[in-house]
Amino acid sequence: MFSLLWLAPTLPLAGFLILATVGARLPRRVNTALGVGSVGLAALVSLLLAAAWAAAPPGAYTQTLWTWLHVGTFAPGITFYLDPLALVMLLVVTGVGFLIHVYAAWYMQDDPSIRRFFAYMNLFVAMMVVLVLADNLPLLYLGWEGVGLCSYLLIGFWYREPGNVKAAMKAFLITRIGDTALIIGLFLLFAQLGTVQIQALLAAAPGLTPAAATWAAALLLGGAVGKSAQLPLQTWLPDAMAGPTPVSALIHAATMVTAGVYLIARMHGIFTQAPGVMTAVAVIGAVTMLMAACSALAQRDLKRVLAYSTMSQVGMMFMALGVGAWTAAIFHFMTHAFFKALLFLGAGVVIHALGGEQDVTKMGGLRKTLPGVYWALLIGALSLAGFPFVTAGFYSKDAILYLSWTAARGAPWLWALGWFTAFLTAVYAFRMIFLVFHGPAVQAHPVRDARVSVPLGILAVLSVIGGFVLLPRVLGGFAPFAAFLRPVLPEPPQRDGGIFEVVLLAASAVASLGGIGVAYLLFARRRTTSPDAGLARFWRQGWGFDALYDRLVVHPYLWLAQECRHDVVDAFYHGLADVCLMLNGWLSALQNGRVRWYAGALVAGAVLLLALLVWR
Amino acid sequence: MTNQTISIAIFFVLGVGFWMIALAVSYLARPSKPTKFKETSYECGIEPSGSAWYQVHVRYYIYALLFVLFDVEVAFLYPWAVIFRRIDGGQMLLFSELAIFVLILVFGLVYAWRKGALEWE
Amino acid sequence: MTWADLPALYPMLIPAATAVLLLLTLTVRRDARLAAGVAMAGFIAGLLALAASAAELSHPVTMLLTVDRFAVVFWGILLFAGLLVSVFAVGYFRTLREPREEFYLLWLLAVVGAMVMAASAHFAAFFLGLELLSVSLYVLIAYPRMQSRAVEAGVKYLILAGASSAFVLFGMALTYAATGTLTFAELFTHLTLFPGDVLLLGGVVMILVGVGFKLALVPFHFWTPDVYEGAPLPVTAAVATVSKGAAFALLTRLLLGVIQAQPGHSTLAVIFTLLALASMIVGNLLALAQGNLKRLLAYSSIANMGYALTAFIAGGDAARVAIPYFFAGYIVAVLAAFGVMTQLSTPEHELQEVEDYRGLAWRYPWSAALLTVALLSLAGIPLTAGFLGKFFVLTAGMAAGRWTLVVTLVLTSGLGLYYYLRVITALYQAPLEGEQPTPPPLHLPHRLSVLTGLALAVLAALLLLLGVYPSPVLHLLAWP
Repeated sequence: MFSLLWLAPTLPLAGFLILATVGARLPRRVNTALGVGSVGLAALVSLLLAAAWAAAPPGAYTQTLWTWLHVGTFAPGITFYLDPLALVMLLVVTGVGFLIHVYAAWYMQDDPSIRRFFAYMNLFVAMMVVLVLADNLPLLYLGWEGVGLCSYLLIGFWYREPGNVKAAMKAFLITRIGDTALIIGLFLLFAQLGTVQIQALLAAAPGLTPAAATWAAALLLGGAVGKSAQLPLQTWLPDAMAGPTPVSALIHAATMVTAGVYLIARMHGIFTQAPGVMTAVAVIGAVTMLMAACSALAQRDLKRVLAYSTMSQVGMMFMALGVGAWTAAIFHFMTHAFFKALLFLGAGVVIHALGGEQDVTKMGGLRKTLPGVYWALLIGALSLAGFPFVTAGFYSKDAILYLSWTAARGAPWLWALGWFTAFLTAVYAFRMIFLVFHGPAVQAHPVRDARVSVPLGILAVLSVIGGFVLLPRVLGGFAPFAAFLRPVLPEPPQRDGGIFEVVLLAASAVASLGGIGVAYLLFARRRTTSPDAGLARFWRQGWGFDALYDRLVVHPYLWLAQECRHDVVDAFYHGLADVCLMLNGWLSALQNGRVRWYAGALVAGAVLLLALLVWR
Repeated sequence: MTNQTISIAIFFVLGVGFWMIALAVSYLARPSKPTKFKETSYECGIEPSGSAWYQVHVRYYIYALLFVLFDVEVAFLYPWAVIFRRIDGGQMLLFSELAIFVLILVFGLVYAWRKGALEWE
Repeated sequence: MTWADLPALYPMLIPAATAVLLLLTLTVRRDARLAAGVAMAGFIAGLLALAASAAELSHPVTMLLTVDRFAVVFWGILLFAGLLVSVFAVGYFRTLREPREEFYLLWLLAVVGAMVMAASAHFAAFFLGLELLSVSLYVLIAYPRMQSRAVEAGVKYLILAGASSAFVLFGMALTYAATGTLTFAELFTHLTLFPGDVLLLGGVVMILVGVGFKLALVPFHFWTPDVYEGAPLPVTAAVATVSKGAAFALLTRLLLGVIQAQPGHSTLAVIFTLLALASMIVGNLLALAQGNLKRLLAYSSIANMGYALTAFIAGGDAARVAIPYFFAGYIVAVLAAFGVMTQLSTPEHELQEVEDYRGLAWRYPWSAALLTVALLSLAGIPLTAGFLGKFFVLTAGMAAGRWTLVVTLVLTSGLGLYYYLRVITALYQAPLEGEQPTPPPLHLPHRLSVLTGLALAVLAALLLLLGVYPSPVLHLLAWP
C-alpha cells in the first residue's frame, strides 16, 4: 500500500504537464476536470496511505525512485520519506488542496485562462507534496523553490494589472532573501555533517559544535521567516492577496506560508542544539503575532484582514516552536488550515456576490442574501477566535498558550503576549463578521452552487471537530494526535501544571469571549468602523514597514548601485570581455574560407604533433 | 633520439639532399640560352595549340567509374577462385558470400542502367 | 566468420541491405516519400535488431569487428540519429527540384560506415568504415547541387577529408611497419611494451590527425564552420552527430586502453591534453561573436569534442560511463537544435542567422522552447541531458586528477553560456514596434508533419529525461 507514495506528487505533476502541453486543445470542462481530478486523486492516495498507516504503522516509510547524481557523500535521490509528521502535512495539503480546487472550479469558471490557473495550482500542489515528503535537503529545496515559483506565478496571475505584477515581484524578492539564507544553511549542514539526508542529519545533529548549530539553525530560521511571512520579512504577504482568492486560501493561508513551520519542526533536532535561536524563534513569533493582529484590526480590505490574521496565527505557531511545543505548532497548523481556508473561501463568495467589492466598511447585512456563507464564515470566525470548548481553534490555541508558559523554555510574558493576541484575534474576527453580515443591508447576488457549498460545508465541519484530537489534560487528556506525532516530535519538558492548567484554560476562554463581546460593542452597532487617523492608519499600513524598508534598504541600495556603476571591479570584467573578443577576432581572421590555408593548417598540425613526439 | 630516429633523419637528409644536389649541379653545369621555341611546352613534337585546361564530357567519367567497378570485381574474383577449392567445408558460405557481393554489383548496374548512365545520347 | 556470428551483425547488416533494396526500388519506382519510408524502416528494423543483439555481448565477429556493449550503445545512438535525420530530411527537401531519392540511399550507407567504425577492431574495418562514411558525406554535403554554397562546402570537405584520409593511411602503414599487424589489440600490446617506439607513435599520431579531422579538434578544425554553413541542414546535423560519434567511438576503441595503461605524462597523454585544451579554448572563443547559428554550432561542437576528450584522457571506469553519456546528451541536443532549424528551412532558403530567429517564440512557441532546451543542454544547465553529461566528464577528470583540463572545462563553459544565452534571448525578444516584423524568412507557415512533430517531441522528452532520470541509461552503460 505504501508503495503508492510516489503517486502523491506525481498525479498533480501529471495534471500540470497535461494542462501545460495538450490542454490548449481540450475543452474548458476537461481542463477543469483534469485540474481538480488530479489533486482529488492525490488526496485519495493520501487517505489510503493514512488508512494503511492506521492499520499497521510502519514507523517510517522510505521510497527511493532513483538517484540523480552521486558525488562522494552527496547523493541526492528522488526519495520520499513518510512519517507521521509528513503524513499530517500530506493529508492537509492534498485534502484542503482538493477542496480549494473544487471551489476554484466555480470561482474561476468565467476566467479565460482557467487552464493556466489549474496548471499552476497543480504544479503548486505537486511541489508542496515534494517539499513535505522530501527525504533529503536538495529535494526539499526543490519543493521549497517550486512553491515559491508557483506563488509568484499565481499572485501575478492577472498580469495585465501592473499592481498584481508588482505584488508578485515583491513576494518573490522578499522570500528570496530568506531562501538565500536557507540554501547557505543547507550547505553549512552538508559541510558540517557530510550528508544531505534529513534523518541522518538529525541523528548526527548532537555532534555539531554550538557555533555551527547556531549558525545552521539561524540560517534555516531565515528561510522559514521569509516563507512564513514573519518579522522582518513579513511585508509581502498582505500584497500577495492580489492573486485570485482560491490562491490566497491555498497558498497564502493553508499551506505554503506554513512551510516555515514545517521546516523548523522537521529540523527540530538542529534547533534544540541552538537554544539562542530557539528563543529567537519564540520572540519573532510572539512579536509578529501581536503586530499582525493589531494590523488586522485596522484593515478595510476583507482579504487583507485575513492576510494579517494568517501572519498572526503563523506567528503563534512560531512561538510554539520556539518553546519546543512542536506538536502544538503542527496541531495549530492543521486547525488553522481548516478554518483559514474556510474563511478565505467564504470571503471569496462574499466578494463575488458584491461584484468585486473588498472594502468591509462598504459591506453589511449579507446575512439574508448569503445565509449559507454566513454560517460558514461564522463557524470559521468562531474557530479563529477560539470560541471555548466547541471549536478546533480553541483547543489548538489553548495548547500553545498553555505550553508558552509551562514549557521549560516558556515564560509568563510570552503567554501574556499570546493571550492578548488571542483577545485581539477574537475582536478582529468578529469585527469582520459584524461589518459584513450585520447592520444595514447592501445589494448582493445570491450564490448557489454545489462547488461552493460542499467545500465550505466540509471545511466548516473540520473547523469544529478538527480540535477534538488533542484535548488538554483537564478535559480528559484525549490526545491521539500527540501520540501519533510523538515518534517524530518529542514533548517539551514542562513545569508542573495541575490546577494551573484550569486557570490558563479559563483565561483562554475569557480572551475569546471578551474579544467577541468587545467586537459586538464596537462594531455590531457600527459605533465605529475604521478610523482613518493616528494609530489605526499606522496599523493599517502594517506598522510602516514598507516605508521603513524603502528608506533603509531600497533607497540606499539604489544609491549604492548608482554610485558603483563605474568602479574598478567592473574594469576587470570589462577587460576580460575585451580580451576574449580580441582573441575571438584573431581566431576568426584565421577562418578565411581558403582550402589551401586549411589544408596547410592540417599539415602544420600534423608536423607539430610529430615534432612534439620526436623531441620529447 | 633513438637509433630509428637517426636512421629516419639520415634517410630524410639523403632523400632531400640527392635531388637538391642533382638539380644544383645540373643548374650550374648547363649553359642557359633561352629562345622562344625552347620556352614552349613539349608535346611530342606537335605544335601546341589551345589551353591545357579543356573540358571533358562527364559521360567519360561515368563510364570510367563503371569500368573500375567491374574491374575491381574481377580482381576480387581471382583470389576467391584460388582458395575456393582449398577450403574444406563451408564452401556454401563462401559461395553465398561472393554471390551476395556480385549480386549487389549487379543491382548497382541495374540502377545505373535505369538512371540512363549507359545511354550515350 | 560463421553463420552463428551473423545475428550480432544484424543491426548493421539490415541498414546495409536496406540500401541495396532502396537501390532496386529506385529502378522500379521513383518516389521521394517511398524512398524515405524505406530508409526509415531500415533504421527502425536496425534498432529493433539491436535490442535483440544486445543479449550477446563482447562478441568478436571475425578479426575485423567486435560487437560488445560499447558498440551496441554507439550503434543505438547512430541508428537513432540516422532515423531522425531522415525524418528531418523529408520536410526539408520537399521543395528541392532535383531528385530527392538518392539522399536516403547515401545516408543509409553513411550510417553503415559509421557503425563499422564504431565496432571496428582492425585497421581494415576502420578504413573501410571511414571511407564509406566520408564518400557518402562528400555527396550528401553537395546534395542540392544547384546551390553554390553547398557545392563549395562539398568540395572543401572532399579535399580536406581526402587529405586527412591520406594521413590515416600513412599512419596505418607506419603502424604496420612497426608491429607487423593491423589489429587494435596487437597495437595495444606493442604500445604498452614499447612506449617509446617513435615509428609506432608516429603512425598513431598520423592516424590521430585523421580522427582529429573528423572530430574537428583544434588545429584540425578549420573546415568545420565552412562545411556546417554550406551543407544542407539535415546533412549538417549528420556531420555533427553521426560522423563525430563514430570517430569518437573509434578513438575510444583504439586508444582508451593505451592511455589508461600509460603514465599520465606519456607523450600520447600530453598530445591529447594539448588537443583537448586547444579545442575547448579555441572553440568557445570562436563562437563568442558568431552571428550565424550554423557556424556557432560548429564552433560549439569543437568545444564539445574538447570536453569529451577530457573524459577520454581521464580514462578509468568513470570515462567508460562519461563518454557514451556525454555523447548521447550531445547528440540529442544537436539533433534537437538542427531539427528545429530544419523544420523552418528549405534548401533554397535556410534560416541561418541568429537574427532570423529573433522573436521565434512569438510565432512558434514550441519550436522556440525546444531550441531553448537544446541550447541550455549544450550549455550544461542542470536538469538537462547536457548537464549530467558534463557532470560525468568532470567527475572522470577529477577522479584522474586532470586538474588543468577540469579547470579549463569549467572556465570555457562559462564562455559557452554567453553565446548560447545570446541566441536564447533573441528567441524571446519581441519583434520591435514599427520595424518590419522581422524576419521575412519566418514566412513559412507550413504545417509540421506528424512525423517531424513526433521526432521533435521525442527529442524534447529525451533531453529532459536524460537530465533528471539517468538510471536506465547508466544501467545500460554498466560496462562488462
